[in-house]
Amino acid sequence: MIADLGFAVVLIAFLSAIYAAIVSVIGARRNDERWVASARNAAVATFPLLLLASGLLITLLLQGDFSVDYVYQVSSREMPTYLKVTALWGGQAGGLLFWNLLLAAFTATAMLRKWDDQRPLMPYAILVASLTQIFFIGLVAFVENPFSRIPGLIPADGRGLNPLLRHPGMIIHPPMLYLGFTGFTIPYVFAMAALISGKLDEGWIRTTRRWTLVAWLFLSLGLILGGRWAYDVLGWGGYWAWDPVENASFIPWLSGTAFLHSVIIQEKRNMFKGWNMFLVIATYLLVILGTFIVRSGVISSVHSFAQSEIGPLFFGFLGLMIIFSVYWVVHRWDELSTENRLESLLSREAAFLFNNFVFIGILVATLWGTLYPIISELFTNEKVTVGPPFYNKVNGPLFVLLLLLMGIAPLTMWYRSSAQRIGMAIRWPALAALVVVGALIAFGIDSWAALLGLWVVTFSLILTVIEFVKGVRARMKRGESPWAAFSNLMARNRRRYGGYWIHLGVLVMAFGIIGSYFFQQETQIRLRAGESLSLGTYTMTFNGVRQYPGLDDLLIKEANLSITDNGRDVGTLTPRTELYTRSGQPMTIPSLRSTIEEDFYVIMVNWETVLANEATFRVFLNPLINWVWAGGLIFVIGTLIAAWPSPARERVAASARRRIALGPALGGD
Amino acid sequence: MAQTTWTTEQGELLQPRSSRLKYVVGGVLIVAALAFLIINAMSGNTQLYKTVDEFYAEQSRLVGRDLRVSGYVLGDSVEFIQIDATTSRLEFDIVDDIRNPGQRLRIVAENEPMPDLLQHEAQALVEGHADANGVFYANSGGLFLKCPTRYEEAAPTG
Repeated sequence: MIADLGFAVVLIAFLSAIYAAIVSVIGARRNDERWVASARNAAVATFPLLLLASGLLITLLLQGDFSVDYVYQVSSREMPTYLKVTALWGGQAGGLLFWNLLLAAFTATAMLRKWDDQRPLMPYAILVASLTQIFFIGLVAFVENPFSRIPGLIPADGRGLNPLLRHPGMIIHPPMLYLGFTGFTIPYVFAMAALISGKLDEGWIRTTRRWTLVAWLFLSLGLILGGRWAYDVLGWGGYWAWDPVENASFIPWLSGTAFLHSVIIQEKRNMFKGWNMFLVIATYLLVILGTFIVRSGVISSVHSFAQSEIGPLFFGFLGLMIIFSVYWVVHRWDELSTENRLESLLSREAAFLFNNFVFIGILVATLWGTLYPIISELFTNEKVTVGPPFYNKVNGPLFVLLLLLMGIAPLTMWYRSSAQRIGMAIRWPALAALVVVGALIAFGIDSWAALLGLWVVTFSLILTVIEFVKGVRARMKRGESPWAAFSNLMARNRRRYGGYWIHLGVLVMAFGIIGSYFFQQETQIRLRAGESLSLGTYTMTFNGVRQYPGLDDLLIKEANLSITDNGRDVGTLTPRTELYTRSGQPMTIPSLRSTIEEDFYVIMVNWETVLANEATFRVFLNPLINWVWAGGLIFVIGTLIAAWPSPARERVAASARRRIALGPALGGD
Repeated sequence: MAQTTWTTEQGELLQPRSSRLKYVVGGVLIVAALAFLIINAMSGNTQLYKTVDEFYAEQSRLVGRDLRVSGYVLGDSVEFIQIDATTSRLEFDIVDDIRNPGQRLRIVAENEPMPDLLQHEAQALVEGHADANGVFYANSGGLFLKCPTRYEEAAPTG
């Protein structure tokens, strides 16, 4: 009954999206606001409808109605309530419904918030948003229906959730990625609306920028949380593997980041209109491509997704949207070109341009590596893959360039800046960074690549901190206290200083990535009780294994290790294996000593061979790894600062809206 | 490298024709640099991707080459042997189709932890190379088991 209702609600949402698309076109053609308003209401209505459908699916999950195939696949009686709720996005069909819910939420918010502000773009914005919704809701309604029933006998219990996914990082990570992915639809919607309506002034850019930042924040969070989950759960001591599925979310992140930078040039200098349009469209298409890669299984990945027939449908949709986008860009090509040109290669706009080249370079290289199995099979009839060494080798130098730009670019001025001035500004930081590198060499670090990376990071870090100091000093000269000067600086110029916080976060992360990539040590050894192992400055002594039953069907084997650092006692570590005896699924849980310098990370190698007084351990020493997570946190805070609506600007925007509302409301093509 | 520019009465800049050429040359150089980086990074870092049957079809050609093979794990074949305190050996067989196992490929991984996901029907991706006897040696860190990104199990294809 509930399942039938759920399916019916999804169908109504589907029809509502079709209605919105058709009526928005009629509204635009007739230039009649009543039609457009009706289309908007239909587009907004998809949100409560999909919310209801999601609520009904959650009800089925909570009830444990295993006559519904999806409920059977992703849940079981013994699962705790919160996991039953999050099982909404635990499988393909539910995940797609959840995806639609988020897309509808974004669409409804954008349509309501921008209704007064962007009236002329609205009919087309509704059209493009609804086209996307028709495709995705259609998938849920007709291909991957989460409400479909199991044929034959109703099973007594469901299959349940893989224990490896019972981790907070894994529960939050998919929704974050989904929010990021679906969020990028809104910038695309307004970009296309600007193209179709021909209103290519700065209006769409203003609307798009904040939305891009929000989507970008969620995508960044998704990437960071995914890495943290891998580090905590998978037991290989790493957090990023350049797997196609990871790349699928990293690639749109790159083009989104490029856009967030180059959009500033359009605002300040009215340049690169066409390029910005390209980046917004590319980001959306790469999101669709990424979803296709993830869901279709065309590229072999260590992530497994249920194979299904949605691959070709995605491919078709991607093709249609490419044709649709390219057609409108070509149609409006003349209006996208600008008269302003670069005046100097030593200017802020040139710095942003270089930054974009590097981002696109990383994007192209990563996309090339990800798609290479398909490309090679097409031309040589043989699938060839490239692994992490490829990505590290090609992207390493590009990341170094990016970090270097991060330090220097804020020193440049619009139009042109003097080489002498920049030279003066970077002299001392460059030297100071060199001193740091000298100290590192004295400590015995001899990898030139690591030293180069650390020099660049230190250099740009100093310059970024100087930007903050300069800003605070200038305000203090006007008589503000240091703290007031600092907080006013942030509040008055959120985008700029939020951006610098993000840079700081990236630099701190880069420090951690260089440390853990170049200097990771690992070893594997079987110990008897009383024996010990030394790695780095650490020594661990094995005291034995305790075996005890855990919750439900769990059987736990927990080793006890005494750890000393430089001979000083620093406590015990207790790596363990948990065996889900019913399913036979083991779970290896690392134990680590985390400090600002490094993680001493221990796992047991094979639960079967663990005896009371003998076990095999794999031990990792991951230098600076916590800087990766700390940098991630700074990064997210910076993005929040940049994206936070500033009260002053909102008031200005609101009064501008009122002024606009007094004028003629709707214009067509 | 004196560069002349002209300004119109409105203060807009006009670019001499040589400037356009400069952008084209610059663009070509950037694309060339990226192409060089990509090609350079690919040399020595590519693997042929083969399923078990594809591997056996061309076994003699593939011996010793860098490969990435994929297949489904036969649960009964998994062995973890602790040779001495610092050496362990993990062995298992993979096949293309679990329900209709044809040829088996023996995978050997030295000093690798036993992955939690190494279970019957799990899909393994292994980077390494094969010897003449058809035993496939995994590179260090070259053994991947498909991560159950979705809760539901992937239907083994065949």
